Amino acid sequence: TFFFILIFLLIYLSPGEIVVNEVNFVRKCISTENNQEGLWGKLICTNFKVSFIPQDPSPKQVFTSTLSHLLLGEHDIPLTCLEQVVTVNDTKGKKKVLGSNQKLKFNPTELILYCKDLRIIRFCFDEAGPESAKKVCLAIAHYSHPADLQLLFGFEYQGRRYHESKGIERVNGSPPRGGLQTPMFDRSSDWDREIKRTNASEWRVCSINQSYFVSSSLPEHIVVPASLTDQDLMNYAVSFTDGRIPMWCWNHANGSALVRMASLTDPLQHRKPEQKIFAAITKSHPQRNEPFRSDLDKSLPSILDIQSAFVKLRQICILGEAFLKHSAEMVYHLDGKNSSVILQEEEDRDLNCVISSLVQLMLDPHYRSLIGFQSLVQKEWVMAGHRFLDRCNHLKKNDKEESPLFLLFLDCVWQMMNQYPAAFEFTETYLTVLSDSMWIPLFSTFLFSSSKQRRQHLMDFAKHKAIPQGEDQVVYFPPVWEWSQQFSTKDQTLFNNPMYVGKGAACVQNGEVKTFKRTKKAYSSTLRGPSTPVRNGIKGGEDTLTRRVSLVTELKSELTPVKDESPSERFFKEWFSRPADLQGMLIPLVMPSHMAFWKLFFLRWVPEACISKGGPVTTYHKLSQLVDEIEILQSQLRQYKGTSPRSTPLPNPGGPPSERRRMYFKASSPDDPPTPPDYLTSSFPFTPEGNLSRRTVQGTPISKFLNGARIWLSTETLANDTV
Amino acid sequence: RRDPTAAALKCRTVLAAGTLSVNPADPGIWSLGERASAPYFTFFVFSPTGSHVEWCKQLIAATISSQISGSVQPDIVSRDNKVKMFQNQVPLLPGETIQTTVKDVMYICPFSGLVNGTLTITDYKLYFISVEKSPFILDVNLGVISRLETICVPIQGENNKGLELVCKDMRSPRFAYKMEESQPDVVEVLAKHAFPLSHSLPLFAFLYKEQFPVDGWKVYDPASEYRRQGLPNESWTISKINSTYELCDTYPSILVIPTNITDEDIKRVAVFRAKHRIPVLSWIHPESQATIVRCSQPLVGPSDRRCKEDERFLQIIMDANAQSHKLTIFDARQSSVAITNKAKDGGYESESFYPNVELNFLEIPNIHVMRESLRKMKDVVYPTIDEAHWHSAIDQTHWLDYIRLLLAGAAKIADKLESGKTSVVVHCSDGWDRTAQLTSLAMLMLDSYYRTLRGFQVLVEKEWISFGHKFSARVGHGDENHANSERSPLFVQFIDCVWQMTRQFPAAFEFNELFLITVLDHLYSCLVAQEVPGKTVALWSYINSQPEDFTNPFYVDYENHVLYPLVSSRHLELWTSYYARWNPRMRPQVPVHQTLKELLILRAELQRRVEELQREASSHSLSSSSDHSPTHTTGTPLHTAV
Repeated sequence: TFFFILIFLLIYLSPGEIVVNEVNFVRKCISTENNQEGLWGKLICTNFKVSFIPQDPSPKQVFTSTLSHLLLGEHDIPLTCLEQVVTVNDTKGKKKVLGSNQKLKFNPTELILYCKDLRIIRFCFDEAGPESAKKVCLAIAHYSHPADLQLLFGFEYQGRRYHESKGIERVNGSPPRGGLQTPMFDRSSDWDREIKRTNASEWRVCSINQSYFVSSSLPEHIVVPASLTDQDLMNYAVSFTDGRIPMWCWNHANGSALVRMASLTDPLQHRKPEQKIFAAITKSHPQRNEPFRSDLDKSLPSILDIQSAFVKLRQICILGEAFLKHSAEMVYHLDGKNSSVILQEEEDRDLNCVISSLVQLMLDPHYRSLIGFQSLVQKEWVMAGHRFLDRCNHLKKNDKEESPLFLLFLDCVWQMMNQYPAAFEFTETYLTVLSDSMWIPLFSTFLFSSSKQRRQHLMDFAKHKAIPQGEDQVVYFPPVWEWSQQFSTKDQTLFNNPMYVGKGAACVQNGEVKTFKRTKKAYSSTLRGPSTPVRNGIKGGEDTLTRRVSLVTELKSELTPVKDESPSERFFKEWFSRPADLQGMLIPLVMPSHMAFWKLFFLRWVPEACISKGGPVTTYHKLSQLVDEIEILQSQLRQYKGTSPRSTPLPNPGGPPSERRRMYFKASSPDDPPTPPDYLTSSFPFTPEGNLSRRTVQGTPISKFLNGARIWLSTETLANDTV
Repeated sequence: RRDPTAAALKCRTVLAAGTLSVNPADPGIWSLGERASAPYFTFFVFSPTGSHVEWCKQLIAATISSQISGSVQPDIVSRDNKVKMFQNQVPLLPGETIQTTVKDVMYICPFSGLVNGTLTITDYKLYFISVEKSPFILDVNLGVISRLETICVPIQGENNKGLELVCKDMRSPRFAYKMEESQPDVVEVLAKHAFPLSHSLPLFAFLYKEQFPVDGWKVYDPASEYRRQGLPNESWTISKINSTYELCDTYPSILVIPTNITDEDIKRVAVFRAKHRIPVLSWIHPESQATIVRCSQPLVGPSDRRCKEDERFLQIIMDANAQSHKLTIFDARQSSVAITNKAKDGGYESESFYPNVELNFLEIPNIHVMRESLRKMKDVVYPTIDEAHWHSAIDQTHWLDYIRLLLAGAAKIADKLESGKTSVVVHCSDGWDRTAQLTSLAMLMLDSYYRTLRGFQVLVEKEWISFGHKFSARVGHGDENHANSERSPLFVQFIDCVWQMTRQFPAAFEFNELFLITVLDHLYSCLVAQEVPGKTVALWSYINSQPEDFTNPFYVDYENHVLYPLVSSRHLELWTSYYARWNPRMRPQVPVHQTLKELLILRAELQRRVEELQREASSHSLSSSSDHSPTHTTGTPLHTAV
């Protein structure tokens, strides 16, 4: 009938996407106030996503201005984003968590999808055919557990996309990697540029790992002390886990280097190579300062701890605190003590990624720009061999390997951003969208565990899809950094922080280019502030009563003019005693009283936590408009400057064309309403509407969480779940 | 040695121009634990109670590093005639006199150890200045002192005395000094002027002589406020029945009551309500005509007394709103407390005697619980913070739980009016504490006028001062009886709730955080007593004379928008920039509004330049069309890089 044709027309299928199974007359529980009934429509499982097509295509088009994904609709969930597929039979009181190739002995009346991006979605089958409902549930469970990496939809999609777009690109003669400015660090020139940028003259690019000859998890090109020959390195490599010889990350302006390494395979036998390499690192330091080594396995929570903390959620802040604190200590060694730092971890593929990238984020303003941040993730995570495939558990094969380290890192970045809101070129929306992209299997960034694995899979893939050899893999399997794959140019402007853009404008206006070099001036001061114990726990545990009684003793200690203060404590105190230079070193305060809860990320899908007409976006709105106005004015000034007085067509008052404007909210015209639009909520640009509301999740984990419970999304609570 | 005055001049003028420009290399700021930077201290003299204003500015300035240096020219003319050299002098307010000066006093700073300096006590403040290493000033106004305690000091031989000032604003500075035979004891002088009422002295507010360009006493005019609400109308009238305060001595002279009721009935209702506080209108919804009515508890007593007139009164209130056939009473108290109150001749409305009335208890604990909670909070934030147990320590004070109860209660009231279109009656026991908190918060949610700088002042004047919140008893103005059970931080709690709302709706309030802190500081300062109109300079005069300092640059008028704050514990935060502000380690976040202000200046500058160029270009095209001479190729101003 016409009705069904209409519905069928509404599902958007990406190239290579096929419908596996579908069921009609499904009710999705949603949380609008005027829609208690839920939304009726059709539930579809494809080889890419779970899709829901509402019968009434436009129930409320208020949310048109929110972030819209180019490949995923409002009700779509990529299969890789599914955490758990739970089927329930209400009348029989049964429920089952579905895995791959499982049988279902009852007809489900409900399907609950727990998603990795923290959404919880519920479908009811009261009016649907029981058999087809069951089939769809089984299909979803099956397709969300792919047997092989190559079965992830990205391979199908990018192959089609490559062949479809190939003709056009050839015509345009566009170079490979066209438009992508983020260095991938898969070629030596990217490393070379980084060496030059940080003035690391005592370091060189080394290509002994060409074809992954030395290590299966290191990139092909790494940076090593200039004093070591390729032959030395080859000899030393066997001593390290997986041949991971120490790898340079970054150089401080004072010449200290940040280096990461794996542990020795046999500490007793292989001390010598380690000493040789340490000596070379010392030699690469301008003052020949001894490097400082930090064993992260001993000083930080384990990967398992991180996973369980994430389940408990409340503790993620506490974890972030530990990582930020440790990173700040590394900053002290690099900057305050002027010594190189070697980060050591058993495999050098997990904790080292977090710490090395946080340290660089604190020390180098370049990484606080959008491109810089992306290159940092590329360098310290993707190329350094963070096992995204296992840690994300895309294939759902080994739950024990799963650990949200990258999310933890993003949370730490957000903590810094929260304390220094004008220091980052990107917004918290960007961080959130980046984390969501982990669960969309279309980008090479988060699909593999090492650059060798990537190379192999993509070569197989290229062969399979008849992509000519020698074609750059970035062209046929792009990284997540190619944001135009996911979002329109307009939506991408949500990534731009108006405070940063505006500040940049101010800098240029003064003609002063702020450089990273000013650090020295800012930190070396003769001022000695009064002593403050940095660890505040000293007087912890004392209540008022004992404080009164022991006043005399306390006074005594109080009256000592300068207390024992470690050099690092003094270093931090001095740094905090003066205003922060956003273009210099930035150290976040890591005490519990300063760690905040990342509301946008954690609460965006919770309707009850959504502040209507409020939230930080209301200030973002105004800043964005103001900066847009500033940019228009600047472009007008430039035009005046450019036009010769002879041929004076008056400059276009509209400013630059809208696609080149960097702000999401454009300068308001006099016709605009005086107040920000109604759709601005604290969840913006996300909308919690499609998610379960508290009313419908009474007693479920999320409602317990909202009430302050510690357990969330774990299987145990699911079992106690009163659906 | 740098010249503090010159530095102060520079700072002051830059501030006046709207940017906060601080030399990042200036080591003065943040050098000592407390407000210790010379440049800022010298200009405390500009404003009567400038210390906290400058403190806040200093916090803001200290966290700002970059500035638009080119666009702001120092303009030293403004108010510089008021700048005086205060190397070792105490800045005094008009009318303020020095009572005693003691040299060689040690300030025992919990953050930086001992500081040696000179202590001066005036009839308004305690002023400690040290010029030893880096200049250091501690300025405590006497009204903020809750009690004085002598402490033991184990240093430097005999005659040493120790003194702790336990303050109402969450700090307790301590001093050590040597007793001199010839001088009166510091403690005595302090006690006399810190607690003038206990020593038969006037509050400093009566001695204060500063003149402000704006008169704050004109802020609130009941008649015009009711006119703004559309009153009187056919159901409600503005009554003069209390014009001589005979009906109720804690109510204002002008009351809004239903039209259809006789004075006789009102008098009977007054007898039935505690302290004669009859139900009167606080706010009326412009569309639905649903109203917020406030009163005190009915004197039901153990024998379940009834009052026909009171029952009829509430019926008339319900009838005045055609949209609903119900009336909701919100009793702020815990239900158990309301029941025990019956034994003490108080009580609550019985639903069986009041038809169509729905009674809700909001379960808010009494003033003593609140006082205890804030006391615990002080232990958590001063002098040191136990970071390891920060969250649990905050939880244990329950302060945020009570904030949640208040906000949730007010949101229920607002929702009843807005969504339910139903009139509500709010009361607690006497109707001047929790009732004031609830009605004013609900009005803040419902009416965007109260979210403006002026509107908020009206709200406080109306719901708190005119309806007899016992400020002097709750704060303990000038009274040394610190253990007085009448003291309670209810107004602090209210302002905290407002702050929570400003956090959730950063663009919906015209005033800023500094405004809220200023209001609270003045609550204690006694400089501007709020209850004695006509005799003192109002807080509002001070604020309205420099509104730019207290204005939120993000403000947009959410006119006709009802704003419901979220009250889950996830959304309530501890107001550390108020409660923990004396701790130098609690650095405030870089305020976003500062960036906005800088951007506004940048925009103005760019606009100016574009206009200049436009003028030039148009004059050029005019002249070039009339005169074809190729000589005047100007374009010189175009070189400015953008």
